[in-house]
Amino acid sequence: MAELSPSLIPRAARLREPDGLRARLRRLEPAVVVWLLLIGLLLFLVVGPLLMLVVQSFQHEGGAGYTLENYFAAFTNKHHLEALENSLLLGAGVAALAAVFGVPVAWAVSRTDMPGKDLVRVMVLGAFVTPPYLGAIGWILLAGPNAGWINRIWMALSGAEHGIVNIFTFPGLILSIAVYSYPYIFIFTSAALDAVSSEMEDAAHILGSGGLRTTLKVTLPLVWPAILGGLIISFLEAIALFGTPAIIGLPAHINVVTTQLWQLFEYPVRAEVAAAFAMPLLGITAVLFWVQRRTFGRKSFVTITGKGGERRLIKLGNWRWLALGYTAFVSSISVVLPFLVLAQAAFSRAWGRGFSLGNLTLSNFHYVLVEHTTAGRSIIHSFTYAAATASLALLLALVVAYIVNRRLLPWSGVLAFLCVAPFVIPGIVMALGYYAAYASPPIRLYGTAALVVLAFTARFLPIAYTNSDAAMRSLNPEMEDAVRILGGGRLTVLGKVVAPLLRRSLIGGWILVFIPATRELSAAIFLTGPDTQVMSVVLYELSGEGNFEYVAALGGVLLVATVVIVAVSSRLVGRDFMLRRG
Amino acid sequence: MKRRRFLETSAAASALAALAPAVISRARAGDAPDVEGAKKEGQVSWYTAHFDTQTAEGVGNAFMKKYPGIKANVFRSTAQVVYQRLSQDMRAGVAECDVFSSTDVGHYIHLKPSGVFLEWTPPNAANVAPAFKGLDPDGQYYVTSVGLICITYNKSKVKESEVPKSWPELTDPKWKDQVSVGHPGFSGYVGTWVVEMRKLYGWQYFEKLKAINPQIGRSINDTVTMLNSGERTIAAGPEATTLESAAKGNPLGVVYPSDGSLLMVSPSAIMKNSKHPNAAKLFMDFLMGPETSEVYVEYFQAPILPGIKPAAGAKPISEVKTIRPTIDEITTGIPEVIKQWRDTFGV
Repeated sequence: MAELSPSLIPRAARLREPDGLRARLRRLEPAVVVWLLLIGLLLFLVVGPLLMLVVQSFQHEGGAGYTLENYFAAFTNKHHLEALENSLLLGAGVAALAAVFGVPVAWAVSRTDMPGKDLVRVMVLGAFVTPPYLGAIGWILLAGPNAGWINRIWMALSGAEHGIVNIFTFPGLILSIAVYSYPYIFIFTSAALDAVSSEMEDAAHILGSGGLRTTLKVTLPLVWPAILGGLIISFLEAIALFGTPAIIGLPAHINVVTTQLWQLFEYPVRAEVAAAFAMPLLGITAVLFWVQRRTFGRKSFVTITGKGGERRLIKLGNWRWLALGYTAFVSSISVVLPFLVLAQAAFSRAWGRGFSLGNLTLSNFHYVLVEHTTAGRSIIHSFTYAAATASLALLLALVVAYIVNRRLLPWSGVLAFLCVAPFVIPGIVMALGYYAAYASPPIRLYGTAALVVLAFTARFLPIAYTNSDAAMRSLNPEMEDAVRILGGGRLTVLGKVVAPLLRRSLIGGWILVFIPATRELSAAIFLTGPDTQVMSVVLYELSGEGNFEYVAALGGVLLVATVVIVAVSSRLVGRDFMLRRG
Repeated sequence: MKRRRFLETSAAASALAALAPAVISRARAGDAPDVEGAKKEGQVSWYTAHFDTQTAEGVGNAFMKKYPGIKANVFRSTAQVVYQRLSQDMRAGVAECDVFSSTDVGHYIHLKPSGVFLEWTPPNAANVAPAFKGLDPDGQYYVTSVGLICITYNKSKVKESEVPKSWPELTDPKWKDQVSVGHPGFSGYVGTWVVEMRKLYGWQYFEKLKAINPQIGRSINDTVTMLNSGERTIAAGPEATTLESAAKGNPLGVVYPSDGSLLMVSPSAIMKNSKHPNAAKLFMDFLMGPETSEVYVEYFQAPILPGIKPAAGAKPISEVKTIRPTIDEITTGIPEVIKQWRDTFGV
């Protein structure tokens, strides 16, 4: 009985081979290769340019040697500090106002019996697809102190000398950005609210809590990660915007970080100082990210479980008209009014002549689609690059979110940080990092579509990641464990269970990246070449030139095309079986 | 009357002479551009700050019509933006630009010593109006566009008789909240105008301007938008783009200031490291040819060839009193005034 005969040894034991490298490699899950590849891609996309930027911030002008003088130059200058302060205030203001717009509307749409929900969703989509700089121009027409329509109507009605609103002020700037940022908060919040079953609200009611109290103490706190995610995205987007601060901020004498960075690239170019100036923004991301993790680290926000759940709508009674009114107000200031004035300009021979039959024309569309050598092509480019960006970003984000949430690798928190870090770098600076790192030899991507797509992917990775992360948090691991117990590997889990369950969130995430990518301006302005021109740059250039009719026409084309694409893709996806829609 | 005419003409002539160095003889005779070679290259990339996108596209389209098979890639922006782009390209060692057209003459003074421009005389250079010849004695850059900065106004809000007739009147307190200007940090036109105003009236001119809260845009063409919208009433604006917009039915008018309209003379140059040298030469020659001047007139820009009449409503430059800083003043002045502007206006 010294040795058991082979047939008696259990199969698993027989198959165990000695521990050599080859043996270990053979036991490796295919998933690990995929993880490694994706991590490599992340390093290339995010770390490379960031590293170039950090290195550059310590370099002497012209390249030789290292120094701290850039930091002195950046942070002892009064204008620079003022710009930084303005940016922070702007970001906070935009995030707060966007939440004021977005959260009530999301709650009303998702959890109550307010009428007209489909129309509301269309309005939110309209606000989302509108490029902020296009909206800003519409807002100048509405609320310019002398000639804005609102002011003109007010002066006519009340006989006053001056108007009541002035878009060329700090609050005006915040408003003009927030009305196009609130969709982020709406989408995140309503997606999360959609997934909350009524059981918890029922429990609160049984214990005696009224409607509003339940909402404030049970429902909304459950979706806090989503709201906070939306707040952070709004904040970061606001401080990275270039178009609106140039169009509205400049005349308002408000200088922000992006416009200040632009100035640092005027002749003589001070790229090194600009790199140093961009560093605090990186610090802000780190802090925000840390705050988010600390706040939500231990608590449970699991709402999607293996057990079924029902979602019932709250009956508002007569309050639903108030809800509808508020929603209508938000929609009109973000979509209806600006679109009206922009449409008037798009179809006018000369919009200064106002609404009159003799002023109507289609020639502006003819010009931008046919005569302008680059505008037509730029439309196609914008959409193709945006689609590629969204797909790449979402793939990467999903995998990283999975790794981070299931702690598959050590230091996964660093990966998460890398995914979120790019968003705080203003598009201009990111573009310059890419330019410095990848445009010239040996990589030579300048003027190619690849450079634009990669930079965009890095730029929008944070949105994709925040979205995937929030979605992943809501998933209870029990279903994945079930798959693994039954013998599936990690990739099977991802592909056959996680992705389908999160399909709504993923499609939402794709659209959330696609749309801003079509209208991205600050990064595009540095990276696009004559063959890779995109619409946002063409629009921005046209807006600085008095060719207002063309801006409105081209902007209209962009909007219509985007809406069509989004509508088609939503149709194709269908709905998640588990969530009944009331 | 005769004496006044004489004085005006000689003032104009001497202002123009200030930018046409007498050393024209050093310009070398150039070989004619190789059309076949250009067609093989197939495209030319034009970085330009001249006029506006519509006009630039018009020129590009006219080029493609005359030489089918050669594509003109037009990148139009304000002068400092275009220059930034070119500098960025040069830093990255990338040769994207074939022809560089800026409205800030200082750019050429800065870049020429680095030897980045091609020395070549286009055949058409001999045909431009004498006042615009010989900008660079070495033949590395040539005047391809001219324009005027005047006082522009919205006809439906103010009568022509009330509009300021000279530059100092623009800063009168009665125009508080009604003036529109561009930004010298973006626009070569505005930069040159600021340099000239500083030269004539000192920086106090801009302190006074600040006191009446002007609307500050980017391009000088922004003033057209501001006037059209009715947001502002008067502006220091570009004669050509304003008239172009007025021809579409907008209520805009132009006043030629009594102390002189600012004459903008904008050059173009071929980059030595251009990837399409033949197409670039062909394009440069085209810019100084009759088709281009006709496109200019169509878009209310001033033609640079003698004998082509300007558009209806625009005065020929020879009949207008013009003022202009010297090239040296522009070269050193524009970076200075950009900084001063930022300190005064905060943006």
